[in-house]
Formats: sequence, structure tokens, C-alpha cells
Amino acid sequence: MTPFLSVLTSVVAWVAAMSAVASAVVIGPARLRAAWGGLRERIWDVRQAAAVLGVVLIASAVGRLWLLDISRLFGLQATAIIYGLEGGFVAWVQATFVTPELTAYFSRVYVYGYAFLLLFPVVAYLALPRTTALRRLLVAYALNYGIGLVVYTLVFAHGPRNVMPEMVTPLLFANHPDVMSLTSEVNVNSNVFPSLHTSLSVTVGTFAVLTREEYPRWTPVGVWLALSVVIATMYLGIHWLTDVVAGFALAFGSVFLAHRFVDSRSDAAEPSDDADEAPPGSEARPDD
Amino acid sequence: MPRPISRRATLAGLGLAAASGGCLGRTENIAGRDPHSQLTLEINTTPADDDPSGIRIARQLEEYLTAVGVDVRLNTLGRTDLWRKVLINQNFDLYVGQFVETEPFDADALYGVSHSKFIAESGWQNPHGLTEIAVDDALDRQRRVSGDERTDAVGTLQETLCELQPFSVVAFPDALTAVRENRFEGWTEDRQPLSVSGLLELDAVADGSGGDDSGTGGSTDGNATIEDAADEADADGGTLRLVTTDDRITENWNPIAVEYRKYGTFTGLLYDPLVRDDGESVVPWLAAGWKRVDDDAVEVSLRDARWHDGEPVTATDVAFTYRFLRDTSLGSVETPVPTPRFRGRSALADDEQVLDDATVRLTVPDVNETVVARALQVPILPKHVWSERTEAATIAGFEFDFETTEAVISNNPDPVGSGPLRFVEAEAGESVVFERNPDHFLVHPASDAGPADSDETTGPQAGVPSRYHGKPAFDRLRLEVLPSDISAVESVSEGRADATVSNLGPASVPLIGRSADARLVSGRSAAFYHVGYNVRRSPLSNPRFRSVIARLIDKSALVDDAFGGYARPAASPLAASPNAVPDSVAWNGDTDPIHPFFDDEGSLDVEAAKATLRDIGYRFDDEGRLLSRGQ
Repeated sequence: MTPFLSVLTSVVAWVAAMSAVASAVVIGPARLRAAWGGLRERIWDVRQAAAVLGVVLIASAVGRLWLLDISRLFGLQATAIIYGLEGGFVAWVQATFVTPELTAYFSRVYVYGYAFLLLFPVVAYLALPRTTALRRLLVAYALNYGIGLVVYTLVFAHGPRNVMPEMVTPLLFANHPDVMSLTSEVNVNSNVFPSLHTSLSVTVGTFAVLTREEYPRWTPVGVWLALSVVIATMYLGIHWLTDVVAGFALAFGSVFLAHRFVDSRSDAAEPSDDADEAPPGSEARPDD
Repeated sequence: MPRPISRRATLAGLGLAAASGGCLGRTENIAGRDPHSQLTLEINTTPADDDPSGIRIARQLEEYLTAVGVDVRLNTLGRTDLWRKVLINQNFDLYVGQFVETEPFDADALYGVSHSKFIAESGWQNPHGLTEIAVDDALDRQRRVSGDERTDAVGTLQETLCELQPFSVVAFPDALTAVRENRFEGWTEDRQPLSVSGLLELDAVADGSGGDDSGTGGSTDGNATIEDAADEADADGGTLRLVTTDDRITENWNPIAVEYRKYGTFTGLLYDPLVRDDGESVVPWLAAGWKRVDDDAVEVSLRDARWHDGEPVTATDVAFTYRFLRDTSLGSVETPVPTPRFRGRSALADDEQVLDDATVRLTVPDVNETVVARALQVPILPKHVWSERTEAATIAGFEFDFETTEAVISNNPDPVGSGPLRFVEAEAGESVVFERNPDHFLVHPASDAGPADSDETTGPQAGVPSRYHGKPAFDRLRLEVLPSDISAVESVSEGRADATVSNLGPASVPLIGRSADARLVSGRSAAFYHVGYNVRRSPLSNPRFRSVIARLIDKSALVDDAFGGYARPAASPLAASPNAVPDSVAWNGDTDPIHPFFDDEGSLDVEAAKATLRDIGYRFDDEGRLLSRGQ
């Protein structure tokens, strides 16, 4: 098995396992059973948002290399600017905080935790009687990827591990070289601004806060994981602080726009379903 | 520059106020002057993924330049973009990179790099924009004279270059590669293992005894891996599997496309030169022989050879190649468009004359034998392919004023050469496959079973040392692109590849030691790392200023930090060439003989550096910033 496939397999296995556990703990068996009813209708209901995300992902997969060429030739050469702006901040982070335990933690969070963080809310919000949260999440994902891709093309920059190799260890790749085969399939080392790891994680974290009524147990977990991923991007030497700040901005902007584009639609689509399912959902809370 | 503008705006405001006070004349006298501003310099290099050492050199220089008050912009670019910026557009201040020749080279290699006659051209010919009569004289002289006189001339040349510093030599890296030896052996230790000759000298490990052979390492714990490797060997046949981080060879096979070539190793295997210098001897390659027939002419006779598409290689192709390298437009564009690679060598031939199908006469001025042999080391190109690429380059049919030809910008898909390897297939950014050319003269004819030495002087391999007979030892050569030096080493230690091609950084070398099956082979490389200056730009046009920058480079420390000790610091670009360096520019102990580092117990002596800058006429503002004007 090639290293790419073996890493991919282990990511899929871990994410599946973590999602199963989280489903049991966060959503709860009762609500999972209840969620089964009307599942097809809800999936049908989110078709537009899912299609938007699908289109963005396909466009990103197809156009990525071509856009990279555009970026190399015509993009803003930003490495020097970013480095001039923040200097050795990431090197300082590593010099101050690196321990083997933290490296192991952040490496796992960066790969497995991140994949779980993106996937689980989709499952959790699909289990909700109303699809508003899910549709907003999918649109926010699409906005993150879409805007991220445009900014990647406009800005050409390499990350700290590529600029300050003597001070910033590529901890992830030095300790898990196999992971590199996976990340190099989905990312290019000159796409660092903004940090999509940050923006997508913060998007999920923000949603975790916004949906605390529905999933109170998810809120602390989601926020903790999201912040861990954010720190991991710098701790592992992959992103600049500047990328992370831009990632936050992109995340909040995407969440805001997703709320603008997708209204709560309390009276739309399947009022009967919504009306039937909503009360049990809100009544389930005292059980928690 | 925002600073001076804002300052002028302020002055303008003051001027208005002052004008009402009736002292416009005095204010004008002040406001009309351009204020000084901090000197800004941009250092260009490749990111750590592309080259783990160059960026470390750039970082140290950035730190020390900043310390003496320069505003430094450290810019990382991909390999193609870096060399396009430096060599083609010449739009740079400083760059950190490697020289193009990896085998120890003759002093004449510096002719192309530093002679002022190439000032208006783009490519590896005079990329720094040096125009120094002393350098030109020394370069011309080392071509004319021979023997002790030449040794003298070469010595003078190095002293002049070291003094003027159009580029600062930093160190000669060891050519490091991680190899597995269970399938191919004979990785050369004394020089670059992955050069053209290094690859051709490889031997295949006998198939049946694969298990016994790999018993050299740990044979007891290695059982499983040996079986794995044997399985893969069966599947791959005689494929030499190499891994690299450099993806340029997967999309461009043009031997003269300067921004796509590093040393030109693989295009060197696709395209044969007339003569090959492998460091041990000058080997007649596509040429069966050559002799000086006159004061100004060299006659070259060709071997019987064919292009990969079956056409015969003739004297017409050779004559075409030299004419074409001089002007790739063959006169169809108003100003000649010379080749951006091999220019110093090919420019030596002024004219060419086809005597018969297998003989060509090149007009070469009265220069020494060494220089003649170098002039014969350019890739010979098929006329029937390249003569169709002489028109001005266009985009979608539109002609822009790029002053270049299709030949220079072509990716040269399906390259047709005459070399020992021919192109099979490629996937851009992923991999490329070459195969052995069965018609090449290195391949023994079937009848010739006995020892090769008997027909050394007459056969198809006349004059070719026996180490090349029957080579290459592999049927195919597959080059795969990986994201970093670490994953390249990983790939070799896990048995998915036989050797790494691209540079290994200090972080990846220890990984080789931890693997049971991979071994570190370290050879000598002549491709020195250097800091190149754009001498066309102020203040880099000032040799005294360049010499201060040279003294900010702590070469000894860099050898440890940037190369993990696998390099040798040097002052002269010829430090890897045998017996070429005079004592005056030889590295002595731990300091540079001409431009010693401003050393203060291992770190930079900022005050000494600033004092030297003041001595040569530079000034600082009250915040310690180095001031410049006219940037």
C-alpha cells in the first residue's frame, strides 16, 4: 500500500470512530433514533447548499494547479511582506512551547482532529429536526473554500517552515513523513495565506457556539478542537500568525454571510416535519 | 518608497506655511532636495522544500544585513520562478543559489558567467551584469595561453573575481544521496553520484543472487524486506527508481531552457555532446575524434549515430547546433537571440562548415586544448526538429516583444536526442520515465562478446573508457516527484526507490542512518552555493559595498548550520577543481582569505561592520539605519 493510501485509510478509520463516539455522547441515542425519521426529507432539503459546496470543491480540485500557475506568475509575492510583518513569531512559539507530548497532540489534532471537526457537525446538524444549521454550515464551508481559493491565487507565499527552517522545525513532516503524502495531495506549500485549517476550524467552532442550545456538549469540544487546530498550524510551523488572523477573518465573514444567505425559514419547506420534530428536540435538553 | 513621499508632503505643507512668511527661497532649497532613505535589499531564494540549504544561507545574510541597518526583504520563489527572475529578467538585488556545473569544472566555465561581452544577454551568461576590464582580460588570457602561463592566468582570474565579488562563493556542498544497493551498485563516492557519468557507471546487481548480495547490511533482520524488494524488482524489471523534489524535468525537456535546468543531468542523458568530460578524462562521445587543423579551425569527425526518431546524426546537425546556439532565431529576428545555457562554450565557434556527412569544421580561434574541449561539450540538437522553432515566440499567435524564440521557450515535448536514454512518458508534477536507447553506441553489438579492449581504437566505442561499455545498466529510469527531502529519504529506506536525486538537508541525513537498507553516499559537488549580486544596481554596483556584504557571510558557521557539516567553505569558485586555486585565495583554516567574516566570537561584530561601511562612504541615520540614495 502506498503511504498516501495508508494515511488516508487511517484518517478515515479514526474519523469514523471518533464520529461514532461523538454521535453517541453529543447527539444521544434517543435523538439519533428520532433523527432517522424524516432523514431523506432533510437531505433533500439541504440539496442546494450541498450542491454549492460540491461545485466549489470540484472547482478547487480541478482548477487548483492551473490557479497555482496564475498565482506564481501574477500573484502578489507576499512571503517577504508577511515575514517582515511578524518576523520570528512562529519560531518563538516553537522555541517556547515545544515538547514531545505537545507535538504528538498537535500533529494528531492537525490531521485527525481537523478531519473529525469538519465532518462531525455535518452529521450532528443533519440529526436536528430543522436543517437551517446544516445549510448554513455547508454554505459557510463553501464560502471558506471559495474565498480561500481566490485569495490563494492572489497571494503567493510560503509558510514559516519553508522560510526559517533553522528555527522552525517542520514538526509534522519530520515526525510523520507519511502524512506529507496526504497533505501534498490536498495542498501546495505556497498556499499559506489565509490558513484554511484555521478558517474552517473557527467556522465550526463558531457554529458550535451558535448551536449550544441544541448541542451543549458539543460546544466546549468543538471550540477546544478548533482552537487546538488553530494553534497547531503555527506550532507545527505550517502557517504564519498572519495566515491565522486572516483565517479568523475569513471564518467570521463566512459565518456571517452564511447567515445572511440562508434565512432560518421557520415557516418554509416542511412545516409539518418541523413542527412535529422541533418540540421533542428542545424537550430533550433537560435529559442532558 | 512611502517614506520620502510622506516626508516631502510634510515639507510641502511646511512650505505653504513658510511661503506666507515670505521665505520661499530657502524652503525651496531644502524641499527641493531628495531626502535619504533606508537602503532596501531583496534576497531571493527557494523555499526549504525545494532546497533546504539555500534558504538557511539567505536567512543568515538577512539577519546580518538587518543588523547593520539594511531593510531586507526575504523573498522565496519556486525554482523556475527564481531563475526566471534572476537569469532572464535580471530583476533582483541578491539571490542565493547554486552554480550550474556539478562536476569539477575548468576555469573557462567562468568565461560565460563573468565576461562583459554578454552584458546584454539573458541566461547564465553574465547574470550579475559585471563589466570589469580586469576580469575580461584575465578570462581572455586563460583561453589563449597554456601550461604554467595558464595556471598563472587562472590564478589572476580568481584573485580578480574574489576581490570584485560579483558573487560571493559560500560553500561547496557534498553531493548527498540516500541509496539502496540491492538492485544497482557502483554509486560513485568521489564525485556527484547522480551526474550523467555517475548514472551511466552504475551496475545492476545480478538478479538471482539478490538475496545474498543485500546480506552486506543486516541479513538476519532483513529477510522480509529483501523479499519485498525482490518482488518489486520483478515487477519493475530493470527500472532505476529515483526520487526528487524537483518537478521541472516532468514538464520540460528543453536542454537550453535555463529556468528549468539545474545541472542538466537528465537532458544530458537525452542529448549527447560531441565530447564529455567526466572528471577523469575527456571522452570522445558523439565525436569519434577531433583535431586542430589550422590556427583557427577544429575538425570533428562523428561516430555513426542515430536520433531517437531513427534519422541519422550528421555533420549538418552539428553545424546547425553551433549556429543555432549563437542565434536561436537563425537571423529571423532582428537582434540575435543567443542560447541562455552553454553560451560561454558555444560562443567560441565563429563559423562552421560541413565537409561531409560525418565531418564538420568549426572555426575556433587560437585557444588552448582545454578550452577547445569545452567548446565541444554542448548538446547536439537535431536540425529537423529545432529548425522549426526559430521564429519569434508568440502567445496564441500574437507576437509580443519578448525578444525570444520558440526554441528557448518550448517545453520540447517528446524530446528527440541521440543520447543513451530516450523519453517514454511523463505526468507533469508527478513523474517521468526514460528508457535505454538500444541503438546508442555505448550498447555493445551482439557479436562483441570478448573483452572490449581489443577494439578500443576502431569499433563503434573507439576511445570510450570501458566503464561505459554496455551502459546504462538499467532498462528504464523512473523519476518520481515527492514533496520534501524527508519524504524522499523515507521512500528510499522503505524500498520504493533506489536513490534520491535532489539536495538533502541537515534534517533528512540522520534519517538515512536510522534505516537498515538505505545508505548515505556523499560525493564532491562543484555546484557551489553563492550569493549573487545584481551589479547593475546601486549600491551593489560598488565593489567595496559588495565586499562588505561578503564579510557578513559567516561561511564556517553556515557549513555547520545549513549543511550539517556536509560542505566545505570556500572563497574561490574553482575550489573544487583540482590544483586550480592559488594560495592567495585558498581557504585557510576557518576564515576567508580575502573577505573575512566580521567575527565577534561566533556572532557578527556589528560595530566593526558599520565602521567599515562608514569608512567606504556610507552613512547611517540616528536610528542606525543604513542610508542610500538613488535606489
